Amino acid sequence: MNKTSPLNNTLTFAFMDPPFENERTITFFRLLDAALEKNANVRVFAYEGAVALAFARQQQHGNAVHGRDTETENHPLTKDWISALQRKSKDKGLSFEWINCGLCVDERGVNEAVEGCGRGGPADLWRYASESHNTLAIGTR
Amino acid sequence: MSHFLFIQSQDPFTEVAASRQYQLAAELAKAGNQVQVLLVQNGVTPARKGANCPAFDALLASSVSVLADEFALRQREFGENHLRDGVQPAEIGLVVDAMLAGHKVIWN
Repeated sequence: MNKTSPLNNTLTFAFMDPPFENERTITFFRLLDAALEKNANVRVFAYEGAVALAFARQQQHGNAVHGRDTETENHPLTKDWISALQRKSKDKGLSFEWINCGLCVDERGVNEAVEGCGRGGPADLWRYASESHNTLAIGTR
Repeated sequence: MSHFLFIQSQDPFTEVAASRQYQLAAELAKAGNQVQVLLVQNGVTPARKGANCPAFDALLASSVSVLADEFALRQREFGENHLRDGVQPAEIGLVVDAMLAGHKVIWN
């Protein structure tokens, strides 16, 4: 979906993969980072499993098999990547908005999102896409 | 004429759809559109020298510009010397450039 609009440097991304499952999640976050690098404002609509990306109660853990404690393992958490992107956007004077699909959140019981991530519904994706210069939907297949 | 960028995460060795996706890109180019395919994740696997994939051969023989995500190549220990002719390494930022230029960007 693409269109000419006043928000000509705003890009929307729709994503549905849960954290810690698929390489798509890494690619998705790399795309968000690249968008900020190129001074685009970013809007994310997270649905299905992707609503857990911002879950505030994610915790690092050690890895007993490899003999590493929590600090040494330093397991990456997607909630921290979101916070880092929020800080980057702020430093660059850009906007970074994130809305989780409320139905998907309720199904999974992941209501506690990190600060700056809101709750909404499919109408927000429509609004984001309608107002943005371009939209990328990343499907699971 | 439209500009298309396909982000190709699927590979032809594990995903039946990939061959059809290559074919669609080639047909769009044949119809006069500007078409790029950026291989990401395991989508880079047919770009390795010696890979046997007639569908990917056909894509390379078309006028589609075929690129491969440098990050995905590094993860898989592909050097530029391992890439087939006709595939160029690229930064993922080109997706953002295409989106900002108003191109049609499609995830496969």
